[in-house]
Amino acid sequence: MKHPIYLIIFLFILAGSACGTKAEKSGPVTAVELYQQAFAAKDADKVSIYSCADWEAQALMEMDSFQAVDTELENLACTETGNDGDAVLVKCQGIIKTTYGEELREIDLSVRTWRMIQESGEWLVCGAQ
Amino acid sequence: MSIIQIAILCGVSALAHVFINVKWRGWLLLGLNITAIYWLQPAMPIRWMDFWLPTLIIAMTVTVWAITARPEMRFTKNNWCAGLFAVLLIICVALTRFISDEGIITASRPPQFGAVLAGLFFIGLIVLTFGKFSNPSKGLLTLFIAGFILIFVFIKLPVLMLLTSKVLRMIVGQNPQTASTFDIRWLGYSYVVFRIIHTIRDRMTGRLPDISLQEFINYVIFYPSMPAGPIDRMERFLKDLRAPVTRSPDTFAIGAERIFSGLIKKFIIADSLAIFSLNAGNALQVNSIVWQWIIVYAYAIQIYMDFSGYTDLAIGMAYWLGVRLPENFNQPYTRANLTQFWNNWHMSLTQWFRGYYFNPLTRSMKSGKIKIPATVVVLVAQVSTMVLIGLWHGMTWNFLLWGLWHGMGMFIHNRWSDFTKPLTIKYEDRTMLKKGWSLFATFLTFQYVALGWVWFALPNLDSSIAVFKRLAGL
Repeated sequence: MKHPIYLIIFLFILAGSACGTKAEKSGPVTAVELYQQAFAAKDADKVSIYSCADWEAQALMEMDSFQAVDTELENLACTETGNDGDAVLVKCQGIIKTTYGEELREIDLSVRTWRMIQESGEWLVCGAQ
Repeated sequence: MSIIQIAILCGVSALAHVFINVKWRGWLLLGLNITAIYWLQPAMPIRWMDFWLPTLIIAMTVTVWAITARPEMRFTKNNWCAGLFAVLLIICVALTRFISDEGIITASRPPQFGAVLAGLFFIGLIVLTFGKFSNPSKGLLTLFIAGFILIFVFIKLPVLMLLTSKVLRMIVGQNPQTASTFDIRWLGYSYVVFRIIHTIRDRMTGRLPDISLQEFINYVIFYPSMPAGPIDRMERFLKDLRAPVTRSPDTFAIGAERIFSGLIKKFIIADSLAIFSLNAGNALQVNSIVWQWIIVYAYAIQIYMDFSGYTDLAIGMAYWLGVRLPENFNQPYTRANLTQFWNNWHMSLTQWFRGYYFNPLTRSMKSGKIKIPATVVVLVAQVSTMVLIGLWHGMTWNFLLWGLWHGMGMFIHNRWSDFTKPLTIKYEDRTMLKKGWSLFATFLTFQYVALGWVWFALPNLDSSIAVFKRLAGL
């Protein structure tokens, strides 16, 4: 072939398209886990990008309330529990440990069920019950 | 940049130094530069922007090359290969989406592959249209310069930054209500725009040398200098890029020495001083006059160490890659007047402004139909240059006042020099007197520059004025 680089690009596009038609690695469970990790790390940028438009402001407000304390995420494990219309429901086990001076608190993550929706190929946190 | 990122870049540069050869150096640099632009781009709260903004820089670079290169030079085999190689690398970055749920090269997961292909198709169409049908006419080139400056204004002026963030958030389906002026963090654009404007201006004046697409991308997004300068000139950069690579223990040692110096300056001295130097928090907490002066002096040293440390790192890494970047600092705080200070502080920036703004402006004011007094020419040129340098850092009142502070300072020094010229000549032979005066002038210049940092370091006028009052014991 005269220009092998064309062939290489074509193969890359083909590989990309093939990947795109397969189910992508990321699912609602992974997305919640990434959201929880970003939340515990107080990473506002990631909390924003893992949230849907309706939930983002609430997520950032909740995260702000942790600004003064040290946080640590432990034993996080999430599972799909069902559907709510187009949304997928996900429940997580684990705790966020917060420390403020001598004061220790544990926030149980299992009390919430997360509503996950898919937009432009991304699974996003879009509320909690 | 974090110390881990710097360590990795230094490691890559050292490896490149060992294995680089003239034949493949351009291609190796192209690969490293394109990968680095994605990898160094910080995370943003707007989805996929950490992929699209570096892609936009590459697209701008290629488009500018397409309009500034001579038409007969554009569609050569070498340039096609460089363009396709760039596309291939962008596709590789986009494909990392399928490997990890988080970013591997980019800060977060790249956008959907279809969107990337559509984006690349659109960019390719623009580049090909300009490449096929455009001549580097002055009108078109001026329009491009205006466009790049406009983009700069949109990412530096708080009210427009907010608007940009809201629009981008709406485009990607995020909540525009949570937009803030800190959302857009576009790595390197401020420096890229200097290199691009310099290229377009040199094409307009017929001074631009012939340059291939591969060389041009390497020049504009050269990874050691892309995040924080220095701003190199294309002719000088090309000379190094086309020269044979000198590889010896000595050249390695020179690069290593600069990198070591940069690491000490940035991560030991500057970061230690940052704990108690002037910032919004410290300014509020410090009440005594002595401590207020200490935090201002600490900031003066910190900003110098920080910035010249980054410059040392850039120069050291570039040295290993066979490129001698220009110096940016030459003991600026030991200078006896403000003009000398600016000739030795962020030198590549001041040289750029002198070449592309100050000199053309003074020339046009002096040669215009209306006779303008020399004093007015100096006042307008110096003040406007310094105000522009201030606004380049950020379009806020504080940066504007910092620019005015230096512009007026330089003008006053200019008038003072004229006024005291007879005295300087009269006491030319009095060595001790001259030395004493020089020491006093250096001390005075440092005080003026240090006080100027009060505008620069603080976020608003109220906090700066409060610090000035406390410094004066009010």
